[in-house]
Amino acid sequence: MTRAPAPLATTVQERSALIVGQSLPADDAWPIVTGALEFVTDRRVDGMLHAAIAHATVPHALIQSIDVTAARAVPGVVAVLLGGDVPVNALGDDDGDGPVIVDTVVRQLGDPIALVAAVDEATAQAAAAAVTAAYLPLPIVDSARSALEPGAPQLHDKGNVAGHLAFASGDVDAAIRGAYLTVERHVRTPVQEHVALETPGGIAMPDGVGVTVWCGSQFPGVHRRKIARALNIDIADVRLISNPVGGAFGSRNDDPMPVYLAVLAWATRRPVHLKMSREDVMLIGQKRHPFDITTRTGFSSDGRIVASDMTALVDTGPYTTSGPNVLKTSAELSVGPYRMPMARFDGTVVYTNNANGGAFRGYGVPQSAFAIETAMTQAAADLGIDPVELRLMNILRGGDEHALYRHHVTTSLRAAETLQAAAEHAWWRDRAAWRAAATGPWLRGTGIALAMKGVGLGSGKGDTSRARLIVSREGVVQIWAGPNHTGQSIDSSYRQVAADTLGIPMDRIRMTVGDSQLVPEAGSTSSSRSMYAGGEVVRRACVELLDRIETSTGTRVVDPSTCRALIDSGDAEILAEFRLPDSDLGMIPPGQLVTFAPHLVFGCSAQVARLEVNRYTGELHVCGIVCAIDCGTAINPAGVIGQAEGGVTQGLGYAVMEEHLIAGGRPLTKSLETYAIPTSRDVPPIETILVDGSEPTGPMGAKGMSEVVVVPTAPAIAAAVLDAAGVLPDRIPITPERMMRWMSGEQEAIA
Amino acid sequence: MNVNGQRVHPEDPTARLLDFLRDDLDLRAAKEGCGMGECGSCTVLVDGRTVCSCLVLVGQIADSDIVTAEALERSDPPGRPGLTDRLRAELVDHHAPQCGFCIPGLIVSAHAVLTEHLSPTDEQICCGLEGNLCRCTGYRSFVRAIQAVGR
Ligand code: FES
Ligand code: FES
Repeated sequence: MTRAPAPLATTVQERSALIVGQSLPADDAWPIVTGALEFVTDRRVDGMLHAAIAHATVPHALIQSIDVTAARAVPGVVAVLLGGDVPVNALGDDDGDGPVIVDTVVRQLGDPIALVAAVDEATAQAAAAAVTAAYLPLPIVDSARSALEPGAPQLHDKGNVAGHLAFASGDVDAAIRGAYLTVERHVRTPVQEHVALETPGGIAMPDGVGVTVWCGSQFPGVHRRKIARALNIDIADVRLISNPVGGAFGSRNDDPMPVYLAVLAWATRRPVHLKMSREDVMLIGQKRHPFDITTRTGFSSDGRIVASDMTALVDTGPYTTSGPNVLKTSAELSVGPYRMPMARFDGTVVYTNNANGGAFRGYGVPQSAFAIETAMTQAAADLGIDPVELRLMNILRGGDEHALYRHHVTTSLRAAETLQAAAEHAWWRDRAAWRAAATGPWLRGTGIALAMKGVGLGSGKGDTSRARLIVSREGVVQIWAGPNHTGQSIDSSYRQVAADTLGIPMDRIRMTVGDSQLVPEAGSTSSSRSMYAGGEVVRRACVELLDRIETSTGTRVVDPSTCRALIDSGDAEILAEFRLPDSDLGMIPPGQLVTFAPHLVFGCSAQVARLEVNRYTGELHVCGIVCAIDCGTAINPAGVIGQAEGGVTQGLGYAVMEEHLIAGGRPLTKSLETYAIPTSRDVPPIETILVDGSEPTGPMGAKGMSEVVVVPTAPAIAAAVLDAAGVLPDRIPITPERMMRWMSGEQEAIA
Repeated sequence: MNVNGQRVHPEDPTARLLDFLRDDLDLRAAKEGCGMGECGSCTVLVDGRTVCSCLVLVGQIADSDIVTAEALERSDPPGRPGLTDRLRAELVDHHAPQCGFCIPGLIVSAHAVLTEHLSPTDEQICCGLEGNLCRCTGYRSFVRAIQAVGR
């Protein structure tokens, strides 16, 4: 069975109901379920070569020589590329960005030392395995703390500090000295692997003086610049087609794969296909930054926060990637969605020979939120105040001043209502009964946590989305817009916005995302900005179309005759732009907005977790999660619920099972055999609640939500563990071994 | 062997079934997410049983009947024609696919669950899908869709 597309409407239909707010399937859904959808790594072209990566076999060393004789001698090998073969062998302007192909220093096990192209995959792999190098080993920097020790080997020209961010909005030490209660916590969060199911890869081919690349990308503009830099060509000569792709979650932000593909095609003058193995991604793919956080939160006797003070040490591994930017969002959300007279944050990102950190859904917020939210849980217990009450007493409301930067947040923030919505759920209200019904070795508990996360790249960054629109003589509206999608069916939601703005059915709107040749530079699929930034620019393009039709015909009706009128007058093409609004400066010194990049708009999520803990084995069963969301208008509610359930599941993995381990620069979790993510049997029922709200600057009131849903899960689970077992975890994942140690009162040695 | 009803003759008995399907037969619904039996993206039916095609060499199944997501309707049980179509439609209507990379493998397992159980329970569905990793959805939408087929 295939579903024929609905016949093209050529007349204006009566539309009784709004399309925004209806749950509609993704445009790609039918090709997906029939197996017909071609992902970027599925693509094949005639005459293409296959590529493989030769990896460094040591974590830290100077390269003395690389021998490619044996590799070049393998029959069927077309090219073996070394660093010197890349015109500009750099992934960025700074030494910390690293080279495309490593040629002088190895900084992590598996760094690419050569790219091989051959007639088939087996030949490419055999040749890659035949590349050898002579190394002069260097001492290994195996932790963030050791990176800062005097005499530590320095990974880059500028040393081991990749970034530092500090800000205070008052005399925090004095405020904490005067506090009735100070909750001090030292928490550590793990390295999390994205496990986007399609491993990095795709295909590239030479195209005139440039290249065309099919490869997943969450930031085509940046990837095109990286390719142009490496090949020393103009960005206009780089075409990047970045979907359909099998998931992202941040992994396709810092990924150098589009550059590898472009270099291979450019050097061989042939189409080249490359797809990383899962083991390769586990080895060198970027991961969620591990944080080591010390925090002090001061409270008055009646439960008001008087100050928050957070210090974070972050391991970004061998290359800068998103490290310093991740620190900005961590700093901003170190104060959670709370009001307080003052706060301080001091964070440092360092280089090590550990796994490379990078963008990951939540972008630094899950880490700092775990610290502040577990501090709130601890404070509620210490003060004898209900955890919901304590949070509400301190809650940040729409239009309030942000605790750290003192800028004003959007009026649409509904943190209080979101928390209340979660707390009204039976799983929270009935928590005493749940706890009392525990039997046998199982202890039961319920926990709650709250978080917010900024939408967009942050103030001062010139964050802009763009769209192009044309109409046809038949009254069909074609729109090219971004951000592109990595599995969120964002194009379908853009069509919903367009349909309601234009007052025409969805089947008269064509939407294309993800091809840099067609879509104007629209920014990243990141920072919860797609629905907000892309939706709003689509809306603006549509409003401009209506304005032009009105000028030309006196009506605001989009039909074949009005479209023809525009075509005939040469007004049928529209380029729209949406510059995301910056916040005010607050206490940030003029000219430094971009240093801290605070947000105006925030999405919010509150979650309740109920669970059981086995008192003898430390085993944890998470039995249910409530996820309340403040996303303004839900353009496609089913899409929002899908994002929420997927986000909660990643949060669940982060909380109780996922941890990429590395020792002496050598990973211990090398595959999905040793790095486990939640399966269908690990995910409990999830109840999603959409809280009413409307963001004044967003399309039809929408704002982003797909990162914040990852954030409250771990602290809610930690709070439930406290309720069940009387111990509050200070690190995640909460494994049975750790549970046993905490329950027996043992302290874990701080690494 | 037969693949989706066509007689085929693999040249290399040591080829992985997954590579043979994708590279030689141009059947690229089955995906490689791990290559070691952990993710289920490569799931196909071999003589009616779900198998990770990344773990099987074509020489091991020379006389078998293979069905992939592209032609899943070929394995609809007698007396239940249209099962595949219903399953596909419910997945679409329940907004189950997000990126969709897991789906061609997962739908094969879901079909097997529905072949075994007319109205599978939550537990039966979750057991049946346990070998199929999805990083986007949290699986609950699959459970809802499969239960809707079973109703
Ligand atoms: S590719 Fe076969 S199980 Fe993952
Ligand atoms: S929908 Fe993306 S992995 Fe399942």
